Amino acid sequence: MNFKQILKDGETWKGIIFILALSLVIGTVSNLGLIKKFLRGEFRQAFFTREEYPGLVFITLPEVEELWHNQKAVIVDSRPVSEFRRGHIPGAISVPLEEIKGGNYSPLERLSPVKPLIIYCEGGDCLTSLNLARLLHGRGFGDLRVFSGGWAEWLAAGLPVEKEDEGS
Amino acid sequence: MRVLNNKYFLLLLRLIVGGVFIWAAVTKIADPLAFAQDVRNYRLVGQTLSFLTAIVLPWVELIAGVCLIIGVFPRSSALLVSGLLVFFIVLVAVTMLRGIDVDCGCFGTFSRKADLWLILEDSIWLVLSLVLLFSPANDFCLLKRAPKTS
Repeated sequence: MNFKQILKDGETWKGIIFILALSLVIGTVSNLGLIKKFLRGEFRQAFFTREEYPGLVFITLPEVEELWHNQKAVIVDSRPVSEFRRGHIPGAISVPLEEIKGGNYSPLERLSPVKPLIIYCEGGDCLTSLNLARLLHGRGFGDLRVFSGGWAEWLAAGLPVEKEDEGS
Repeated sequence: MRVLNNKYFLLLLRLIVGGVFIWAAVTKIADPLAFAQDVRNYRLVGQTLSFLTAIVLPWVELIAGVCLIIGVFPRSSALLVSGLLVFFIVLVAVTMLRGIDVDCGCFGTFSRKADLWLILEDSIWLVLSLVLLFSPANDFCLLKRAPKTS
């Protein structure tokens, strides 16, 4: 049988429809609980349950600005060091996710375990802030706030910027 | 190549390819949310599509794998498996070209980086599943189909 014959064969498509339909039914039925949570909007920003990561929340620019202004939180930049040097939120600590994943945990020593941590990355579609937050949760940090608007939103709002080589 | 038509060799191929797909599926079914996040990490589709993929795709892999092994719609399952592998190869290649560093999400917690090695591995599975797709594949099948008269 050549490829054309296979595609023309009604039996082939009958089988494919059977497999796809059965998958759809079993997938739906076996995940009803998760589907309900999804419809309630629980996974709008990330795929985890509140029970799994208590203390991990998403916050918006006004909240970040308020906490930053009153120095009520530690700001954590999860982007690579090169990008951090080019510009970051004033006072932010560089904790590049790629380094932590590579086994270098020394940047974590500078983080306070009692103060809330605001974690950000490039913004838009970036996921390093969330992934770093999960990792920090696993290492015992309890108050993690992901600023999903990230660096892009901070810049666009015209808020202050600090550069590593400033003053040198 | 006579070995490619040997019924025992073809049965072995079905067991291997089907087994790999079942294993890949079970690791994902065990933690749908983690797989949804893996899909999302590719930055190709949004939250909703990532979620739907995580709900349905592992079951497609599982049922296609089981069908391949027990011989129910063996050609359809071989075509599905081959199609999925082509999709995975293209997906990993595009992801690499876009410079996105991501875990493949292939085997749940046993997942590893989406890189050239993964493309090579998927290509090997693709060759094996294509052999099954074009083989007579009618021995040791639960549902034997009548030979075509035309």
